[in-house]
Amino acid sequence: MTRGQVRATMRRMRAHNEEAEEETGELNLVPYMDIVTNIIIFLLASVVNQIPLGNVNVTIPTLSQGGGPAENEDPEKPEAPPLNLTITVGGSGFTLAASGGVLPPIPKLPNGGYDFKGLTAKLVEIKNDPNNNAQGETKANFNADATIPYQTVVETLDAMREDEKGKMLFPDVSFAAGIL
Amino acid sequence: MAAESISRLQGKKAIRSFARKLAEPETIKDLNITPMMDMMTIILVFLLKSFSSETATIKFDESLKVPSSVTQLKVKAALGVTITKNVILVEGDAVAPVNNGKVDPTVKRDGENGYYITPLVDILEKHARKEKKVAEMTGSKFDAELMVVADHGTPYRLITEILYSCGQAGYQNYRLLVLRSRE
Repeated sequence: MTRGQVRATMRRMRAHNEEAEEETGELNLVPYMDIVTNIIIFLLASVVNQIPLGNVNVTIPTLSQGGGPAENEDPEKPEAPPLNLTITVGGSGFTLAASGGVLPPIPKLPNGGYDFKGLTAKLVEIKNDPNNNAQGETKANFNADATIPYQTVVETLDAMREDEKGKMLFPDVSFAAGIL
Repeated sequence: MAAESISRLQGKKAIRSFARKLAEPETIKDLNITPMMDMMTIILVFLLKSFSSETATIKFDESLKVPSSVTQLKVKAALGVTITKNVILVEGDAVAPVNNGKVDPTVKRDGENGYYITPLVDILEKHARKEKKVAEMTGSKFDAELMVVADHGTPYRLITEILYSCGQAGYQNYRLLVLRSRE
């Protein structure tokens, strides 16, 4: 046996081996992966830019034809009058009114800002007063002076929604009673 | 040629050792990227899904900065009415111009002190009719909901005028879009 013969055999074996490898070879996925990586980076970048948005739900009072008084299930116990709480934001502070009458206004703070904490405290007081029968009441009307900016409106709605401990106060706000 | 020839045994030995070398598990030539690609495809599908479910595609700029609030309610899709410093838009289409926080009195039915913004009511009535028809056909209920996106400096008077006009077109429930802040 010559060295040449040995080399020729080895060459044949290597060629055979490579052929077998090519037959079972995988698809070239590298270009596909490049595309996918690019799309992921693009999507991730656009997701990061999203701003946390939220909702504040309000309604407006609706007029409808009354269907007559509802039948009182317990004639002995007269229905409690609705609280009909109205909060008005004026140039000098908040004014609160309910079916019982108008409450003393909550003036602005010395620094010129509105006293949202004072408003929340007052609403907690109203909600917890047993004379008001407001334990289950969640509705309130909202009104404001024509020039009050929207930011103040939203902050007032925040102050009306819940107290500092997260207990619901008056989240069902109806805008501008009397405009419809 | 004596130097060229080797014994048969030596030749066989050399071939066998070469065959063994070929059969051996080779050193890693290139990485197997298939599992990584599986993973990436899953991430891609997930991101595309979360991307498409994001409903609010509003362009915020100098004339539209929404107020911040501590509300925890998430945004839900509804017909969008946008109030910027310069214009009122319904679903991205300009409806009426705004100047210094006031709508031009010529587009109001009752003049300067009126609440009824005629073009806004007209376009919302069209949308309401369409939504009612869809609700009727699908057997669902027309929820009369609007998403109101307003600039933080919009005066309350303009807000009430717009909400009044929306009410005239049959929309009574509003979702005010705000920026959620932790405090």
